[in-house]
Amino acid sequence: MVFSDWLSLQVAALLTLGIVSFLYKDNPFYKICESIFLGISAGYWFVVLFWENMVPKLYDNIALMTSDPVTGAGVPRVLYVIALILGIMMLMRLFPKLGWLSRWPLSVVVGATAGLWFLTYLNSNALVQLRATLLPIVAFAAIRSGEGTGLVSWFGKYLGNLTIIIGTVTGLIYFYFSKEHRGVFGQTARIGIYFLMVTFGASFGYTVMSRMSLLIGRIDFLITEWWPSVTAGWM
Amino acid sequence: MTFADRILTIDRRWIFLVVAVALTVPFFLNVTCKSRVSPEVRTLFAAVEALRPNSKVLISFDYDPASEPELNPMAEAFLKFAFTRRLKLIMLGLWPQGPLEVDRNLARVFEDEQIRALDLQYGIDYVNLGYQSGNEFAIQGMGASIHNVFPADVRGTPTGDIPIMQDVQNFSNIDFVFNLSAGYPGTVEWVQVAADRFGVTLGAGNTAVQAPLAYPYLGAGQLTGLLGGMKGGAEFEELTGFEGKATKYMVSQTAAHLVVILFIVVGNAAFFATQRRARKLGGDA
Amino acid sequence: MKYVLTAAAVLVLTTCVAAQEMGVPDEWRVRAQDRGSDAGGAIEVRWSPHPDEHLIVAYVVLRTTAPGVPWDTVVSLARGTREFVDETVSDGVEYYYQVVAVATPAPAALDSLATPAPAPAPLYLWSEPVQSSGQWFNWGRLNQFVIGGIISAAIILFIAAAKSGRKLFVRRIAVLEAVDEAIGRATEMGRPILFIPGIQDMDNVQTIAGLTILARVAKTVADYETTLNVPVSRSLVMTTARESLREAYLAAGRPDAYNDDMVHYLTDEQFGYVAAVDGIMVREKPATCFYMGAFYAESLIMAETGSAIGAIQIAGTAQPAQLPFFVAACDYTLIGEELFAASAYLSGEPKQMGSLKGQDVGKGMAMVAVIVGAGLLTLSSLLPDVHFIARAAEFVGRLFQVN
Repeated sequence: MVFSDWLSLQVAALLTLGIVSFLYKDNPFYKICESIFLGISAGYWFVVLFWENMVPKLYDNIALMTSDPVTGAGVPRVLYVIALILGIMMLMRLFPKLGWLSRWPLSVVVGATAGLWFLTYLNSNALVQLRATLLPIVAFAAIRSGEGTGLVSWFGKYLGNLTIIIGTVTGLIYFYFSKEHRGVFGQTARIGIYFLMVTFGASFGYTVMSRMSLLIGRIDFLITEWWPSVTAGWM
Repeated sequence: MTFADRILTIDRRWIFLVVAVALTVPFFLNVTCKSRVSPEVRTLFAAVEALRPNSKVLISFDYDPASEPELNPMAEAFLKFAFTRRLKLIMLGLWPQGPLEVDRNLARVFEDEQIRALDLQYGIDYVNLGYQSGNEFAIQGMGASIHNVFPADVRGTPTGDIPIMQDVQNFSNIDFVFNLSAGYPGTVEWVQVAADRFGVTLGAGNTAVQAPLAYPYLGAGQLTGLLGGMKGGAEFEELTGFEGKATKYMVSQTAAHLVVILFIVVGNAAFFATQRRARKLGGDA
Repeated sequence: MKYVLTAAAVLVLTTCVAAQEMGVPDEWRVRAQDRGSDAGGAIEVRWSPHPDEHLIVAYVVLRTTAPGVPWDTVVSLARGTREFVDETVSDGVEYYYQVVAVATPAPAALDSLATPAPAPAPLYLWSEPVQSSGQWFNWGRLNQFVIGGIISAAIILFIAAAKSGRKLFVRRIAVLEAVDEAIGRATEMGRPILFIPGIQDMDNVQTIAGLTILARVAKTVADYETTLNVPVSRSLVMTTARESLREAYLAAGRPDAYNDDMVHYLTDEQFGYVAAVDGIMVREKPATCFYMGAFYAESLIMAETGSAIGAIQIAGTAQPAQLPFFVAACDYTLIGEELFAASAYLSGEPKQMGSLKGQDVGKGMAMVAVIVGAGLLTLSSLLPDVHFIARAAEFVGRLFQVN
């Protein structure tokens, strides 16, 4: 292993151990590692934003100009000039007296995003999901045709439909704000919150799995990459 | 102080230590852990298996090194499986580190002799189109023209000059999309824009944190299949026959989960025991 | 290639939209038309199966822009294909289409056929030209337009009603009752209150909801003379939060108790911010912590630290992935839309109230649709011979069709 590779492994391992040391207690080693992480991430994002947005999307399209397909002459794209002006207006928030100018580009961003997402969310998160909830509580036709013959699969399938329907309706009732949660309506909303809690539990379980996976990745790195490099040294 | 009280006031560092030991010990044991393949993994596998040779598959690497332990095993198994099925792979990233992940995974995949023997050519069998900012707007743009959103590949070659891209204009020329996602932009955006608006067939590999958000889309048929976390990766490795790190890591994962379950059971038992005692004392008083 | 072309010449039938007028057999026809309800740039080409399709291996779609101009091959498709959408056309340009049936019979098949194909039809037939164009309205999305329109109209009407002074009812949010209790506890203990309005900027509606709740908290805090600490991660949030607090203290009749340092900026960086907030928690040991706004991975770190210092914690977020952590680590949680409802309830602001009520209309529609749809499908399954039930169930399903 060449020295530069060896050294990068040692730095990576030290940073890993430094961050993990917080589990014992807050300490200077952790603080140094955290500061390095913060500094590098801030610098990295600055470079990414500059080279992936400012240069190709703004500078190249305005300063370098683009070739007109007919005449071959360089012509700045008008739309990008508008974008530049809006960008400069956004920066006006730095000057209290001109801060109001930043509201205009913000309005463009909010308007465009709202327009795009209104339909997207209506389709993907409402209509398609509702369509998937339109299920027979008991599919007699399937039973007659002999589908799901096993007791477990039969119950799994048909109780599954019922669970989805009840979960959706009671969940919607919980988030219905125009009626007080009292009587039957309140009891139904209570069932809705139980469904939500089960969902949260499943989500929490997945998160535990995710965090453990990350730790396993780091332990694997320390055992299979870093420790052999410590014992072998560099060439 | 009773045993229950002691459990409830235990120094959390003991818990950290026990979990760390549970995670580490399996690395030194020669044991493996078989996973029961879940239906969502099986449907993803079946969808890829059903693709004809030379079908175009677009893979979006939307994650960074922080999520490598969960997503790299999925990426590796998917790439190997797709290459052996002679599928043409168009890879890209909507996260800045995505193209880097493409290269790192390709490097590991090409260490496999079976894959090397296929004599795959860059630009003909696979391509790395690089990163494009714009999140969901980039996906929307690809629906009209992939060439406009990615004018050149990661090596600077104009997209129109790359053989694999010659007959690819937009999503209508893509047979399958596979998204490896660790957050935003990721599977949710690919479903909402690519699947629901442009009708692409979409499969996904998610970190376990993201997976619960993707399940409703699976139930509604907006996703063809889903690999959730390391377990999803291990199941996919088992189906494809390319066993890798997910399978290896599952032993540690299982051990850690057992420890966590044990702590939850013991902690709750202690909690209810103290509550009962408190009620009893209150009643006595 | 030569072999393919030779075979194609043997078994070729070509036609177009007006093919039958040119004497081509009726059963072998090609139709080309602009694809409707789209943004342009697409022509649909459909054809009937070739009478001797079993002799064919592929259909080749050819295109030209004028009679006499050489035909370009657009695509070659497998036998059995009946349609193709040409998305490589330009709007306003006239195109003529041919579909050529290609036979590449295996030698054995050739031997077995004395005449391998029917007599070829005329090669140079073309229809009236077809052009692609964009349409302003996508009729396939009429249902989305109607449903979106109803919800939007409901929101606008409710906002107008709220603005005109009509009192709109929003149910009591149970968690809000805990707010006064939590503030009271901090006052009794003589310890500060920490309020985190999420880590997103003012363009996020959750941040706005968080700041509305902050204003309500501040009024009570001003009455009780408790210390309030609001660290923020965005400069715009700092400016707005200071404005809200100043007004709240003024409304409570305690403008003297307000100072700008209550709201202070830390950093934009997610984990830098959470590290600093954790430091504040450990050092100042607030008796009550509020987390109201948009949160990401930092949610559990903050809530866990707050739990460790024994603070009463009240959270609210619409980030689904973060809710489990708040539910597990906090005493009270505003789940999802409850955050906006609480904000509307506390502020009484017409836009927030109107939006909330308008969305309730959408939820009501969804509930009715699910119950009616499930009922019809169950009935249809029970009574398969009653066709109108099946048709009604199908209609309800179509209301939510997206593609």
